[in-house]
Amino acid sequence: MHKVLALTVKDLRLMIRDKAGFFFIFFFPLLFAIFFGVIFSGEGGSSAIPIAMVDEDSSANSAKFIATLAAAPEINVLQTTRADAVDKVRRGKRAAYIVLHKGFGEASERMFWGDPAEVEIGLDPSRKAEAGMLQGVLTRYFMEGLTASFTDPTQMRRHFRQSQEKIKTAPEKDKPYWTPLSSALTQLDSFFAQSATDSVRDSSSAQNKAKGKGWEPLKVVVSDVAVNQNGPKNPFDVTFPQAAIWAMIGCAAAFGISLVTERRGGTLMRLHTAPLSRWQILAGKAVACFITIVTVSLALFLFASVIFHIRVGSILMLLLAIISAGICFVGIMMLLSVMGKTEASAGGIGWAVLLVMSMIGGGMIPLLFMPAWMQTFSSISPVKWAILTIEGAVWRGFSPELMLTHCGILVAIGLVCFIIGARVFQWTEG
Amino acid sequence: MLRFENVKKSFGKTVAVAGLSLEVNQGEIFGLLGPNGAGKTTSVNLAIGLLQPDVGTIEIVGAGAPTAPLVRSRIGIAPQALALYEDLSGQENLAFFGQLQGLSGAHLKDRVKWALDFVQLYDRRKDRVKAYSGGMKRRLNLAAALIHNPPLLLLDEPTAGVDPQSRNAIYENILNLRKEGHTIVYTTHYMEEAQRLCDRVGIIDQGKMLALDTVSNLIEQFGGKDLAIAETAEGEIRIETENPVAELEKLRQSDRLIRFRVDRPSLESVFLNLTGRKLRD
Repeated sequence: MHKVLALTVKDLRLMIRDKAGFFFIFFFPLLFAIFFGVIFSGEGGSSAIPIAMVDEDSSANSAKFIATLAAAPEINVLQTTRADAVDKVRRGKRAAYIVLHKGFGEASERMFWGDPAEVEIGLDPSRKAEAGMLQGVLTRYFMEGLTASFTDPTQMRRHFRQSQEKIKTAPEKDKPYWTPLSSALTQLDSFFAQSATDSVRDSSSAQNKAKGKGWEPLKVVVSDVAVNQNGPKNPFDVTFPQAAIWAMIGCAAAFGISLVTERRGGTLMRLHTAPLSRWQILAGKAVACFITIVTVSLALFLFASVIFHIRVGSILMLLLAIISAGICFVGIMMLLSVMGKTEASAGGIGWAVLLVMSMIGGGMIPLLFMPAWMQTFSSISPVKWAILTIEGAVWRGFSPELMLTHCGILVAIGLVCFIIGARVFQWTEG
Repeated sequence: MLRFENVKKSFGKTVAVAGLSLEVNQGEIFGLLGPNGAGKTTSVNLAIGLLQPDVGTIEIVGAGAPTAPLVRSRIGIAPQALALYEDLSGQENLAFFGQLQGLSGAHLKDRVKWALDFVQLYDRRKDRVKAYSGGMKRRLNLAAALIHNPPLLLLDEPTAGVDPQSRNAIYENILNLRKEGHTIVYTTHYMEEAQRLCDRVGIIDQGKMLALDTVSNLIEQFGGKDLAIAETAEGEIRIETENPVAELEKLRQSDRLIRFRVDRPSLESVFLNLTGRKLRD
């Protein structure tokens, strides 16, 4: 044991002093997790569509509508002249311009007659994908304004009176059509008059305050499905398990290559001539690799919980998952170390195998985003099992039975790979 | 100390060692010489237990076959390739190799200090090996073989690629080790080195022992005649002779002699006479 410990300490010391190796084992996974975490969270810059706004109406209503749009998170509004707006879109500074034509304010007050309020949109042709979203945003905020006027009895009664004035001036031949509408408008006016009185009387009631929020044609309740189904609470819940796997991949590659380096450099010969069994030599390498995997993974999760506030579902399960994944990748390391005769060939073969495993196993693109068939296919990759197991402890809420099953699979993969690798090592080293 | 008895070792159809028998005596420096591909490295690997013979026996006398881990602890090896960790310091390298040999605590510390002093690297003990010169690395390579004070040392071309100062330092180290009672098996391509250091020399080729004796006996048996070299007005004359003085007298009478010298047979002549002058791969 004393000799295995000496081998382990030596390998750990060499690993720490190898700056390039240490980068791939610790800093690359950390950068990976932060980079993709930020991308998935949408942080680090606004995703609002930049638009130029032109107010040719200059009415109170157009100013109010522009103020509403300026407060909308989906768009970024710059109010300017038409010429400047067109120029900015042409030069790609703004995705679109919106012009509120003369008469916009008056038209937006008319509900029951005349032409509707008109808005002109000018688009950068390369950003057509955003046009639909922009139309939706404009319609939504315009409708919100309209909805507000429906719930304001005073404003509604003004609309009714204006409409009745219009009916009075209608041609004689159209009167039979307008008379029922005039009667309906009179009844509605009475209803809204009563409503205005009630509103004043109950203005202190909490219930009425809630009612005053506005008429809602359809109440849509948005529910966070991910939270209800124990989904990731933040993007770093997904990216840090992936980062831990990258750290494990880095360790497997680095320690696998180090065995080849020892063989090529002659130090392995010195180890063979020492009073050591071949199993002790391999055990030293395996323990060093395992300790590095566990330490780096725990450091990554500690960093993630302190800086990015990820909350691990079960710390005990996370430990178990990391240990099992560590055993798995130590076995893979052993197998990789006997695949090449030189550092270059071992490194090339090792990284090729590991990158393919990672690609299909969810190490590059989260399993969540893969189509169903690929998620099934990815089961051939140990990376998938490792990610699932770690995610199971972090946010998937694995039951103890499920966790043990996954850990068992990882340990089994690791043992099989280790035994094959060790046998080949025994055979090739005489 | 080390005994080979009719050892044979093949790799596929290639016979590397073909019935080699030899015995290295306690406390001697034994030179193992041979051209490239003669079977020296295979013989060394057999001696340290890295390879098992197909036929025959190898024994560390009184201990057993070197394939057993405990027997191997009686051997120290300084391989031709510098078997050192470049990112560890000299001291860390020695401490590590000492631990593998079962040393620990104060004893390990003492042995590391002794080995660093012995190869004159104590002042540079904390520097990483990658900062050492070629000569320093060779000396540390020797120190790593000595860390556990083994009675038998196998030194495979221990002066390859080093400057004359480091080479002389290594010679001194080796002679001191013999004084301390270590047995040394020494392989080299430098004949003057073997002639200077070795008590006995074995010359092998194609896996067979061609000759084995003291250097002086080998020269006497296989070195050939003295070579008298005379520079005359007509050019250089080379004469193989058993009596160079008589040749000198003859040349002096002719009035043509400008300069005269005698090359005595050396280990190199022995080597070339036994293994031939044909280039090896």
